[in-house]
Amino acid sequence: MSLLRTRDLTLRFGGIAALDEVDISVEENEIVGILGPNGAGKSTLFNTISGFLKPEHGRILFYEDQINHLLPYERVAAGIGRTFQHVRLFRNLTVYENLLVAQHRHLSSGAFAAMLRLPGWRKDEREAERRVEEILDVVNLRPWRDAHPSQLSYGTTRFLELAAVLSLQPKVLLLDEPASGIQQKEVEALGPMLKQVKEERGCSIVLIEHDMGLLLNTSERIYALDFGQVIAEGTPDEVVQNERVLESYLGRTRRDDLART
Amino acid sequence: MKTDSLVGAESNGHAETEALPALDEPQVAPRVRRGFSRAQLIGFGLLLLMAALPIPFGDFGFFVGQYALVYAILGMSVVVVTGYAGLISLMPYSFAGVGAMTTGVAMASWGWPFWLAALLSAVATVPIAVLVGISSVRLKGLYLAIATLTFSNALGETLFKWDAFTGGQSGWATVRPAVGPVNFNSDIWFYVLCLGVVFALLIMIEGLRTSRIGRAMLAVRDNELEAQALGINVYKTKLTAFVIGGMVAGLGGAFLAALVQLVTPTGFQSPIAEATSILLVTLVAIGGMDRAIGAFFGAVSLVVQQQVFQGAEFFYAFVGIYAAAVLILFLMFRPGGLVQVGKIQVALIRHRPVLGLAIVFAIVAVNVGLAWLFVSLSS
Repeated sequence: MSLLRTRDLTLRFGGIAALDEVDISVEENEIVGILGPNGAGKSTLFNTISGFLKPEHGRILFYEDQINHLLPYERVAAGIGRTFQHVRLFRNLTVYENLLVAQHRHLSSGAFAAMLRLPGWRKDEREAERRVEEILDVVNLRPWRDAHPSQLSYGTTRFLELAAVLSLQPKVLLLDEPASGIQQKEVEALGPMLKQVKEERGCSIVLIEHDMGLLLNTSERIYALDFGQVIAEGTPDEVVQNERVLESYLGRTRRDDLART
Repeated sequence: MKTDSLVGAESNGHAETEALPALDEPQVAPRVRRGFSRAQLIGFGLLLLMAALPIPFGDFGFFVGQYALVYAILGMSVVVVTGYAGLISLMPYSFAGVGAMTTGVAMASWGWPFWLAALLSAVATVPIAVLVGISSVRLKGLYLAIATLTFSNALGETLFKWDAFTGGQSGWATVRPAVGPVNFNSDIWFYVLCLGVVFALLIMIEGLRTSRIGRAMLAVRDNELEAQALGINVYKTKLTAFVIGGMVAGLGGAFLAALVQLVTPTGFQSPIAEATSILLVTLVAIGGMDRAIGAFFGAVSLVVQQQVFQGAEFFYAFVGIYAAAVLILFLMFRPGGLVQVGKIQVALIRHRPVLGLAIVFAIVAVNVGLAWLFVSLSS
C-alpha cells in the first residue's frame, strides 16, 4: 500500500499541460526526489497534491483513499505538509508566534474560551508554549525567538518554515526547493537533516530540488518530469543515466560532471 | 532601571539584561500567567488616570468621555475584524445599529431590563454577520469593502426602515441601567460603567489575540496561503472574526442606545451609517489596528476632538483638515497607530530621556496650542 499516489493527474493552463497524466507513488518512510527543468510542472504537482490547485482529472490517493475533494487545511489534518518555493511565513509575527500558529491543529479551544479566559484556553496555551519551546531548541532558533522573520537570514527563515511544517507532524512532507537561496554550508546540513527527520519521525519526504548534489544524495527514488510528464523513474543512478533526462534537463555536456558527483 | 542595579557588576546596561537566553540554557518552564506583568500594571494605572481625566472638565468632560468609551467599544469590533483578521469591513456601525435598535425594542416595547437587552443585542447581530460573512468574506480587500458598504446600505433600506423594529420616526426611548441601588443614570456613573465595560473588553480582545483562533486570524491576515498550509481553515477563521466583530459592535450599540437614551433609525440609514463606519475604521487606524487598546486610544483622540470642536463653526473645517493630515501621516509612517508611536516613544525615553520627553512635550504642546487657537478664533 502506497502512502501517497497520483493517478493520471492532469492539469492544463490555457493550452499548456502543466501536468499530463502524472502517476507517482510515495511509500511510507521514503525520500522521493522530483527532478526537472523550470516549468516542468514540479510545483504544480505539489500544489495539486496539497489542494491549492484542482486537477482537471486524475486522482490523488492518500493511504489509498481518494482526497481530491479535501481542502488544503483538511489535507494538512490528514497528514500532508508542504513548504513553498519562496518562503512565506507570517511577516508581522515573531518567530515564536509563527511556531505557535503551526500548533493550530493540535489545539482545540475556541474563541470564547479565550475571551473569557476559561481553563480550556489556559491548558491549550500552556501546551502550545511547551511544544514551541521544545521546537525552538531542536531547530536552534532560540536566539531568534522574538525576532521577526525579516530580521533572519534567508537560510534561517527556511529552517523556520521547515520547523513550522514539521510541527504539523505530517505523514508526508512536500518540500519545494528547500535549498534554494541558502548558503552552501546550510545546503550541506540539509541532507543529513532530512534523513534524520525521516528516521526519527517516520515521515516520508518528497523533494523538489535543483541542487543536484542534495537531490541525488538524499533521495532514494527519483521521478524526472518534463512538460508535465513523468519521463523517468528509478534510483538516482538510474535516472541520471537515462537518455531522456540527460537531454531534457542535464544536457549532454554535463554528463561527465555528473558522473563525478 | 532598578533591575539593572539588581543584576549588579556583571551587567553593563540594557544589552546584557535583555540579552537572549543562551542556547545551552536548561529548558524554560512554560510561562504561567499568574499575577500581573509590568505592562498590565501600567495599563491599570493608565485606566485609573483615564477614569479621573474628565474630572477637571466637570459634566462636559464626562459627557465627552462617555462618547469616547462607547466608540472605543465599537472600535474594538474593528480591531477584531480589520486589525486581527485583515478584513476591511465598512459596516461596523450597521451592527451597532442592530444592537441599538434591539436594545430599544427590548426595553421600550417588551420592558426588558438593560442587561438582558444588551446581551440580546450582541446575539442579534450573529445571524446578520453570518449572512454577510458567508456571502462576502471570501472577497479580497477593496471588493470586500464595497460589498460591506452595500450591505450597510441594504440594511439601512430594509431593517432600519421596518417600523416594528425601529419604532418608526419616534424611535425608542431607553433607560440607563441600574445595579441594585446604584443607578447609572448620571453621566458620571455611566462613564464609570462604560469604563468598566471597555476594560473588560480590552482583556477579552487581548485574550483572543493570544489564542488558537486569534493567532489564526493574524496568520490569515498576513498570508492566507501559508495559513492554509499550516492547517488553518481560512474561511471559517474569517467568518469567526466577522461574527465576533458583529457581536462586539452589537454590544456597543446597546451602550450607544443607553447613552443617547433615544434611538432613532435615521442614524443607521445611508449615508450616516456608512460615514460613521468609515469614521470607526479611521479612529482604529489612528489608535492602532491590531491591538485592542488601539481602539481606546483612537476613540479618545478622535471623539474628544470632535466633541470639543463641535461648536467651532468655520474653523471646524480646519480641524477636519488637520485630522485628515494626521491620519495620512500615520498611515504612511506609523501604520501601527498611536500604539506604535507610544512604543517608540517609550523606547526613546529609556535611551535618551531628554529627547524623548521633549518630543512628547512638543506633540502635546502643538495639539493643545492648535486646539486653543481653533477654539479662541471661533468664539
